[in-house]
Amino acid sequence: MMKSKVILLVLATTSIFFAGCKKNMNINDAGNLVLKTVDQDPTLPSISVNGTQLHAETFGNPDSAMVVFLHGGPGGDYRNGLNAKQLAANGYFVVFYDQRGSGLSKRHNKNSYSIQLMFDDLSAVIQHYRTSPSQKVFLFGHSWGAILAAGYINKYPTRINGVIFAEPGGFTSTNLDEYGARTRKLNLFSEGTNDVLYFNQFLTGKENDHEILDYKINISSSYTYQKGNSEGIEGPSPFWRNGAVVLNSLGDISNKDGFDFTTNLNLFTTKVLFLYGELNTAYGLEFANKEAVYFANKQISKINGTGHEMIYFKWNNVYPIVLPYLNSLK
Amino acid sequence: MKNIKILILAAFSFIVTNKSYAQSINWKNLKSSQKHILHLNTGLDYGVVFGLGYSYQLKSKLPTLLNISYSFPSGNELLGDFKTKIGGQVKLYTVNNFQFSASIYGIYRRYQNPLVRIQNFGSEITGVVGYYKSKWFVAGEAGFDKAIVTNFKHSAKFKEDFPAVKDGWYEPSTGGNFNYGIQTGYSLKKSDITLKIGKLLTQDFKTKPFFPYYLQLGYNLKIGRN
Repeated sequence: MMKSKVILLVLATTSIFFAGCKKNMNINDAGNLVLKTVDQDPTLPSISVNGTQLHAETFGNPDSAMVVFLHGGPGGDYRNGLNAKQLAANGYFVVFYDQRGSGLSKRHNKNSYSIQLMFDDLSAVIQHYRTSPSQKVFLFGHSWGAILAAGYINKYPTRINGVIFAEPGGFTSTNLDEYGARTRKLNLFSEGTNDVLYFNQFLTGKENDHEILDYKINISSSYTYQKGNSEGIEGPSPFWRNGAVVLNSLGDISNKDGFDFTTNLNLFTTKVLFLYGELNTAYGLEFANKEAVYFANKQISKINGTGHEMIYFKWNNVYPIVLPYLNSLK
Repeated sequence: MKNIKILILAAFSFIVTNKSYAQSINWKNLKSSQKHILHLNTGLDYGVVFGLGYSYQLKSKLPTLLNISYSFPSGNELLGDFKTKIGGQVKLYTVNNFQFSASIYGIYRRYQNPLVRIQNFGSEITGVVGYYKSKWFVAGEAGFDKAIVTNFKHSAKFKEDFPAVKDGWYEPSTGGNFNYGIQTGYSLKKSDITLKIGKLLTQDFKTKPFFPYYLQLGYNLKIGRN
């Protein structure tokens, strides 16, 4: 008798609770927990190239020397790199775009991504904006974007007129793993670790459930700037939306096939610029030298008072180094 | 690069997963007079996790335990993340030393970081089949943990980036995981020491965790006449 009463009580309580909940929002609907992408929101600036739609903006005179900013990730966006638009005032045509499946660009299924496709997108973006064959093109890559820049000039050593590498973190899968090991000092007892792991028990998505998977990466971003982080990240920097599927896809490709973007870098004889943050203890001059070794003509510069997110937090220290470099090649 | 770090951590999360599944019980050793059972457990559950619980044994035809439990991960904000469960376990069949039991729980769990506070109500169903002796037992278990309805409330920091984010209740489900594994234990008159280990699968059966295992070490103290 008592058992029946208890069961009835539990059922009644549960029913009352769920009856009181509104069933009006779905986590898989864009615009609820993540921003809509360019194919879902026509008010966003975009370009259609290479079979996709990319979130993109430009600043400056379209006929000026082009600087293409390549954001980090994979899967990040260019929002925290927008300080670089200041270069437009110095006579550059600055192009920002969210890479395929990243930021506010259109999403695609996991099995559609490849490194070559990312190169092809970059070629298409340059082609889309270039107004003459003589217009010079510079790449400004941050983090993963700098790795992508290295891969691009390794593949096409004559297409680009100069490159800025802001803490790439590995031109080969071996170096990428090494950098990952330097930043992966996981403390199981820390709040920061809980913050990025604990929700996985009740937020799960299928392989191509972009909204929920992107959202999980979005809220995990707090881990990167947790107190004592080895990359010297001061705090949150703005972002629109992360692309989890492209991150997973390119991560799987790296793990499965590896990559080596250094095989032809010796053919790129133009001076390149490496930037590293003073407070990023995982990178530093040692790792910058390790990556710069592939280039005959290079400049390595320390950005004081900041870490991996130097472009957002200490643009005033980045700008005086980047501008003379670009001007020297203009 | 920060995304790469998050990816690595997401993979690692499955290495250290220990779901706070139903407390392991040696049914053979449990006397009907032992009305109260206290549970303690620890393990790895998206970090190091500690749990405690209480069971009350009903006076019923089928051996039945009503349970309530609370677990939390380590960290410097103890009330930021936790999980509570309420439900029961029933021993349904016995054939010689082989026994089959089932459990059902309602779950309330909370998660908070600098960007969001999430509350989730879910349910968990588990079946256990095993060989039980008075001093020891070994059993296989399989279960499903479903996140039924979830509430999101984002911080001002999150809304700086996405002011139009929609706070509130989300349904249908925001996730679910299957689990299967083994449990074993050694029993004394008033106590059990238990160990369970197993594997996880997400509900689509396609998403393969990097290292989908869970682990839990538990202790039961049975109170009542032996």
